Amino acid sequence: MTTIRHTHMLFSSIRNHSGKQLTQNASFSTTTIALARSKGPSKHDKRIGLLQQHLWHPLTPRPLRLSRLRQLRHWTINEAWKIFTAKRAHQQRLELMKQWQAMQAACERLRVLGDDGVVGGANTGRLYRQSLDKDGIWAGAPIEYARTLTDWPSKKGWNHEWKRRVVKARS
Amino acid sequence: MAARRNPSSITSFGSAQTVHQSICRSCSHTIRRRYASTAAAVAEQPTSEAPAPQEAHQLLAGVILSRPPQITRDLHPFEKAFFLYQKRLNERLALPFTRYLYYKKKTPNLLDFRKKLDQRKTPARDIGNYSAYSEHAWHDEPMVGAVEGEIEDVKEKLLTDEQPFPEDEDLDQVVAMEEKVIPDAPMPRTTEADKAGDEKSLNRLLQRTLYLLVKDGKGNWRFPSAPWDGVKKETLRESAERIIRQSAGINMHTWIVSNHPVGHFERPYGQNYITTNEAGATVKGEVTFFMKGRIMMGQADIKESELGVSDFKWLPKESIKEHVHPKYWASVDDILPSR
Repeated sequence: MTTIRHTHMLFSSIRNHSGKQLTQNASFSTTTIALARSKGPSKHDKRIGLLQQHLWHPLTPRPLRLSRLRQLRHWTINEAWKIFTAKRAHQQRLELMKQWQAMQAACERLRVLGDDGVVGGANTGRLYRQSLDKDGIWAGAPIEYARTLTDWPSKKGWNHEWKRRVVKARS
Repeated sequence: MAARRNPSSITSFGSAQTVHQSICRSCSHTIRRRYASTAAAVAEQPTSEAPAPQEAHQLLAGVILSRPPQITRDLHPFEKAFFLYQKRLNERLALPFTRYLYYKKKTPNLLDFRKKLDQRKTPARDIGNYSAYSEHAWHDEPMVGAVEGEIEDVKEKLLTDEQPFPEDEDLDQVVAMEEKVIPDAPMPRTTEADKAGDEKSLNRLLQRTLYLLVKDGKGNWRFPSAPWDGVKKETLRESAERIIRQSAGINMHTWIVSNHPVGHFERPYGQNYITTNEAGATVKGEVTFFMKGRIMMGQADIKESELGVSDFKWLPKESIKEHVHPKYWASVDDILPSR
């Protein structure tokens, strides 16, 4: 009994440090009563409403109904597409492989050559070691190299008239 | 250590291993391989007292200077059809267009949009006249020979959409739409240089990679190349930059992509052209190491060419085959990407 009375006391009245009893007057909502009672214009944002309408539209989710033959055709089209892309990817892989092998063969040829063009000659592999040096390879990369492909060419076309700015050496 | 090694290598290169026992395994492997190559060269020599002269190759550096593609490639007919098919399926799955999110009510732009929407039946501008909400929604497959999905047709549709609706008599709307900036039509994908077949122009075959090919003093077409400068001990990258400058002038904004070669070409000399160099080695042929370069701006100028270049062309891959020697082509074919 004592415990029940104790909990009852906990909920009904909370005493602060000075011993004064505190009672709860407001509801748990944080909205002020005055705002809830006002009949003024709605604070609801129309854009949010539109987004909500789009997200939870009564038509969601939209069904995709296909007849039996149409479904079969859809399957065929997708199979054809898979074969098409697989073939193309295979071609691209082969091409990359060829390029890599050409590069590897050239580097191997360079590795065994000396500066005098003799296999195992003077400074054998020096050019090869210099070639594999990766220090600062991106230092001189021009910004134009980052140009992406577009569907339509530029209005000005290729800049044939470009001239290198020649800096005169100080005498 | 010795017990774990390959017994055959111990018998062949035992002396080399005794020297390099204090170094790591991969280094010792490299050294063994180097000894192996020189040992093979030694083994081929006749057993006479006078050693045969060494065989040498002249080292050359070459530049495969290319202009990258400028525009996207033409799509395969199947790709075009498939993309249009996917777009229309998406239209069947998509929810109704939220027009009031994009157009304010009672504005000329909304009026204009509505009239165009009535005409093409769908908010999408690039899939032709098709409504995914009508009773003919099932009829989403284009007929054979339809122009929908072609890039030219899409361009026309997008440009027409930018124009104010033609039958508009609403004065307010006309005034409002006149203030709108209407974009110009894009440039065509085939240029004047394409029509003229100008092989010196860089403004042609915009979908393809173009390679610089030069005609040397002997009248042979090849990539710009020259002997490697053994006096300055330059790197291959420096050689490539020098060769571009010497063969086609300074007015090209170029960049050598890597420090290492992307391919090589070996040419043995004929019997009458085999010479002996100052070190006493027999020069039996030449090896050209190709470096990959890109051009960003400018044009080749061969008027003051130091390497005796008499002509140049910018060619796609398949045209190079027609210009160069078959053996040359055999060694550069794999280097060049097909596009």
